[in-house]
Order: sequence, then structure tokens, then C-alpha cells
Amino acid sequence: MVVDRAENKAAAPRRNVLTIRELGHERLVRILRAANGYLDTPPEGDELRGRSVGLLFFEDSTRTRVSFTAAAQRLGAHVLDLASGGSSMSKGETIADTARTVAAIGVDAMVVRSRQAGGPGVAAAAVSSPVISAGDGRHAHPTQGMIDVLAFARFVGRADAFDLAGLRVAIVGDVLNSRVARSAVEAFSLLGASVVVVGPPAFAPPKLAALGCDVSNDLDAELASCDSLMMLRVQVERHGGAGAPPGYRRGYALTSDRLAKLRPSTVVMHPGPMNRGVEIDGEAADGARSLITEQVRCGVATRMATLVDVINGASEGGAP
Amino acid sequence: MTTLLIRAARVIDPASGRDETADIAIDNGTIADLGANLDAAAADRVIDADGLIASPGLIDPHVHLRDPGQERKETIATGTAAAVAGGFTTVCCMPNTAPAIDTPTTVRGVLKRADETAACRVFPVAAGTVGRKGEAPTDVWGLIKAGAVGISDDGDVIASAGMMATVLSLVAEVGTVFMQHCQEPSLTRGAVMHAGAVSTRLGLIGWPRVAEEIIIERDIRLVAVGGGRAKYHVQHMSSGGSVDLIRRARDAGLPVTAEASPHHLLLTDDLVAGESGQAFDTHAKMNPPLRERSDVDALRQAVADGVVTVLATDHAPHTPDEKAEPFEDAPFGIIGLETALGGYATALVETGAIDWPRLIALLTIEPAKLCGLDARGLGSLVVGGPADVTLIDPTTKWTVTEDDLAGRSRNTPFLGMELTGRAVATIVRGKVACSRHQAASSA
Repeated sequence: MVVDRAENKAAAPRRNVLTIRELGHERLVRILRAANGYLDTPPEGDELRGRSVGLLFFEDSTRTRVSFTAAAQRLGAHVLDLASGGSSMSKGETIADTARTVAAIGVDAMVVRSRQAGGPGVAAAAVSSPVISAGDGRHAHPTQGMIDVLAFARFVGRADAFDLAGLRVAIVGDVLNSRVARSAVEAFSLLGASVVVVGPPAFAPPKLAALGCDVSNDLDAELASCDSLMMLRVQVERHGGAGAPPGYRRGYALTSDRLAKLRPSTVVMHPGPMNRGVEIDGEAADGARSLITEQVRCGVATRMATLVDVINGASEGGAP
Repeated sequence: MTTLLIRAARVIDPASGRDETADIAIDNGTIADLGANLDAAAADRVIDADGLIASPGLIDPHVHLRDPGQERKETIATGTAAAVAGGFTTVCCMPNTAPAIDTPTTVRGVLKRADETAACRVFPVAAGTVGRKGEAPTDVWGLIKAGAVGISDDGDVIASAGMMATVLSLVAEVGTVFMQHCQEPSLTRGAVMHAGAVSTRLGLIGWPRVAEEIIIERDIRLVAVGGGRAKYHVQHMSSGGSVDLIRRARDAGLPVTAEASPHHLLLTDDLVAGESGQAFDTHAKMNPPLRERSDVDALRQAVADGVVTVLATDHAPHTPDEKAEPFEDAPFGIIGLETALGGYATALVETGAIDWPRLIALLTIEPAKLCGLDARGLGSLVVGGPADVTLIDPTTKWTVTEDDLAGRSRNTPFLGMELTGRAVATIVRGKVACSRHQAASSA
């Protein structure tokens, strides 16, 4: 903006979880610590007893929806599940109207996924209940970003202070279309890791380095220097058909040849769902250095910690 | 006999080179006299304009009145109410209506509706291709004969170079102007904002500068190949790189002009993210998009250098429901008529890029010449000419509120912003169409 506005718009409600950036370091670490605790000691099951969580998924999802559902149920909360198929959402109801309807029914938090960037923010602006993003367009997937740093921090033995200084993470692939990549860059950077984003120029949005990461077009040059190699799903549906773009595998797939060039301590990550034989081969996905199953395990714990922070944090009026 | 006397204004008429303190006597719809110490006693009504500028009525060659077919957004009546509130006495309305203004009958329909309901003069710009689909040229001669003052597929580019060449030849034959919405579609698929750091962070598909520049470059080549006979005008120029292309074409003597809009002269793409960093503010979504500080500076410099000779709002009303959609789904466009003059003055005069006489030229005689309205006496202030006059307070500072908006829609990023300079009275055909001037009095 070149001219200043005399009035500011009202600030967003503080309990929302829409981006990692907005969450800030202190709250991110608090949620991660709680999530790490759930992995060691499962919850009692009454943390959110009597509470209800609305799932508003305006875009299809299996993994994230099941993960949030399990998280809510293991804490004793009720789940109101609105999936887009067969609901008023498929009859053209807007995100804001659906959110208001669910708020009127009464929930303590809403988990919102949308096809469009900013969709959870639209819901948050329409209601007073806190909103957790479960992924919006190409913008953000904050709980996935938390999962990725949690799995990695546990592996490297830093799940106490969550200080990742001195470690380097390579995020590889379809960054242009990836909300996971944006949230992962924010989360790893916020905890002090250095991040390099690797992919073909056609997958790099403009001024990518402004996210606070290094940018590389040469995966082979990065293999020996990274502590974690996070492969992104090639969004084949967004690239006009099946398979990766021509030449993609040659330059950017994690093959057994490339696996052999990693340092012994380097781990392989993938937020899922994987395209085996496209961006990652079975030897890498299923090998000893794969953290992929651990990431999924961290998913439910992270979402439990997020729900408790958002719901109980709000009722206790604690500062974020 | 004088129906209205404007007293002691700083009369600025760039067309005649006039810039002096004078009185203006208006008799019905005509300027009856212009000079010092005219007889106030003979006037039905006197407006004391001490400290104000009297300008020829302002002309906006690029607005969307949404009429016919999109009356929930705006009508000719409400859009022209917004125009006179902003000091405009003439607007040229774009043909992306429903149906498109692409036949002589539709042109005559718009003119008839304007005759019956408009608060100011309205001239339609008609489509260059049937249905604005880019496939078959329209009857350009018939459209102009019916009263259209220019040709454009605005909202869409004529994407095919071959079709563009055809339409340019028709435009040259008739002697009108083609106004291009410069956007190469294959470079902007799914694009919703400027391609830069902000779009990358927000995960929005970027609209790169080159998509505008490549069409301008192509079209300049087509104009040159056609012997420079077709008048060609670039609408709402947004990229600093486009400025260089226009400058070269004009230096080469081609009949090429370009317009700049208030938002592209004042605002940048970070407005989409807002102060929260993730506002996804749909009032910052327009086409072409807000760009970066370097583009704003280049556009201001282009105005100062005379490369940009026309200013235009691209007033584009949308309903609150439409603008409440998620950013990617919300329509492109913001309103601009009510805030334009203050925006131009803030961006261009307050910064020292140009002075008031030049700003008034960019808002009067220059757009009049673009659309051939100078032949009807519009865009200048002369005895015997039409009594379209805008009184401007050049120094007043005001903060934009909803009360300042006179049209049907509210979709503007300027709400809450402070602007300098404002129209205080708008006189159309000798009648005061809008006034917020306290010193008006009867004799």
C-alpha cells in the first residue's frame, strides 16, 4: 500500500489457527510440546468432554478429516461432520453461510478446509467460534506444517525446546501448488532450521525466496547437505493429466540412486498422499530412513494438541 | 439573462490555455459569458467560488454502468449519480453488459436510457467482436453511427492477432478509437493478483506484467503494419514495462495513447494481504491487478512525462455478496468515480508530478479528444459551449466514508483513506447536478 488507511480493520480472533506465521513461535512451541506429550502419554479422554468440533470440508479430504475426527474423539469431543458431498455446501451455500449455520447449531471450534486460498479466514470472519484451517487452496495447511516439524524434531532429539538451529531441510517438488510446502517453510524457519526449496523453475512461484528460504533447481547438489528431504506430491491433476511433467523424474524424483547419496543420518519425509514412482520410489518411502509413517502418527497428536489449545485456551482466556 | 453565475473562480481550461480568476455566466445549458466582474444582479443564482478551481466538466472514458442486465451492481441512474458526486459530467460506459453492447440497437437503447435517467452525459463504447467473444467483428460503422464513441471488448482482450488486425482496420476506416484490455489469456489462466512475493505467500496464481506488455507490443506492431491509421488506446495500464512500450510508440509517431487509473497510481499488491498478512481483501482485487511500488512510480512518471495522457477510473461495481466470496472466486473490480479526483490529486499533484492545469487536461480535453467528444464542444470551457463545469476544492483533505459513495455499490479499497482535493459542485448542461459547496447562494 502506498497511502495509509486511517482506520484498521478489526483484528482476527486470536485463537484461530490459519497460518503458522500468525501462530507465532511461542504458541507453535506450546502446541508442539503438548503434541509430543500425547505421543508419549495418550490423553485421558476427557480433555474436551462435552465440547463439540465442527468439520467443514468444502474440498474432499480423507486423511486430514479422519485425523481430525480421531483427534476430537480421543479427547472426548463430539464431532459434527459436514462433508461437501450431499450437504447444503454442494447446493451452492457459501462458506460464510455454512459457517454461520454450524455456529448457530453450536460448536466450540470449526475445522475448515477449502478449495480456495483464504477460505478458513472467510469462515472465521463470519463467526465468533475459533477456526482451524485444515488446508486452503495453495495457501496454508498449518497443522500439516506442525506435524512435519514435530516428526523431524523428535527424530533429531530436539522435541524439548524445538530449536532446529543448525539443521537444513530440503523441500522438493511442486511448490507452486503446495499449501503444505508454504506451511512447512514457515514452521521449519520459525524454529530456526534453514530451508531450501528445490524444484524445476516451472514449479517455482515468483519471488519464492521472499518466504525466507533458499531456492534451488538442482536436487543432486542438495542431497549431501540436508538433514531432511521432504518430497512433495506432484499435483498431477493440476498439470493437465496423469504423471509428472516431462523430465520431472530425471531431475527431482527420490530414486534409489539419490537415496544412496544422502548422508546416513538424513531422513526422508512426505506429507502424503504419495505418488509412488512419480516423486518418490518405494525404496525411499519404505526404507529405514523414512519418517513417513511417523508423520502420520504425529498427525493425530498434533491435531489433539491444536484442538485443546484452541478450545480450552479460549475458555480459560489465557494469553496465546 | 443568466441562470447561474460562478463568481471569482480560478478558471482553468487547458484546451484554450486559460488559467485566471474569472466569473462564468451560464444561460440554461450554455456558457454565456466568461470574464472578470460579470453582472451578478442579473443571475438567478450565484455560486461564490473564491478559492475554488472551475474546470471544464470532468470526463471519464472508462466506466462500467452494468446496464443493461446487471442492475444489482449498478444502473445508468446510480452510476451517473456516482459520477456527478465525483465531479464527472461525462462518462463512457464499457460494453461488457448482459447482453453486450455489440449492436446499433443496444447502443441506441443505452443512449435512450441515459436520456431518461442519467445524471450526466453518457456515451457508450461498443464491442469490437460479437458478444465480446473474439470470433467475429461487429458492425463498427453501424455502432459508431448509432452513437458509440469508441470500440473495446473491455473485460477481455481480443486475443487473436488476426481478429485484432481486422478490428483495427475497421476502426481506422471509421476513424474511431480501439481501447484494448491488455491481457494475454494464456499467461493469466487462474491468475487473481500480481505475480510477486505476496501472491507466492498467499498461494494465489499470479498475473505477470509480461501478460500486459506482450499484448501492447503486439498491438503496436499491428498498428504500425496498418500504416498508423487506427487510433489505439491502452486501458488501465498497470506495468512499468508497458510505459516504455507506449513511450516508444508515441515517439515513433503512432496514434497510440494510454490511460492510468487511481488505484494503479496509489496502491500496491500488499493491500491484498492487508495488515494481518492474510486478509485476502477482495476490495484489492481488480484486473489488471495492483502491482509494486516501482510500477506506481513508473506510472506517475509516465503521467509527468506526457506518456500517459488520459486518466480513467475503470469504475467497476459489484455487490457485497459477490465481494464476500473467497478471494479466488470474487469478481475483479472496484468502484472509483466518487474518489477518483482526490486519488489523482493525491497521487499526482500532491507529489509534484504535475500541476492542476495538467491534471485537468488529463481529465477533460485529452479524454474528449480520445473519444471525439471535443467535436461536440466537451472538454473545454468557452463562451457558446456547453455549460458542463466542475468546481474543485484543490486543498481540502477528506477521509473517504460510505456516506461519500453515491452509486449502488460499495466495493472500494479507498474507504478510510485520506485524500486531498475534491469536486464540490458538478454542473451538467447548466444545472447543478451535485453540490456539497456551502457558499452557494441566490441573488
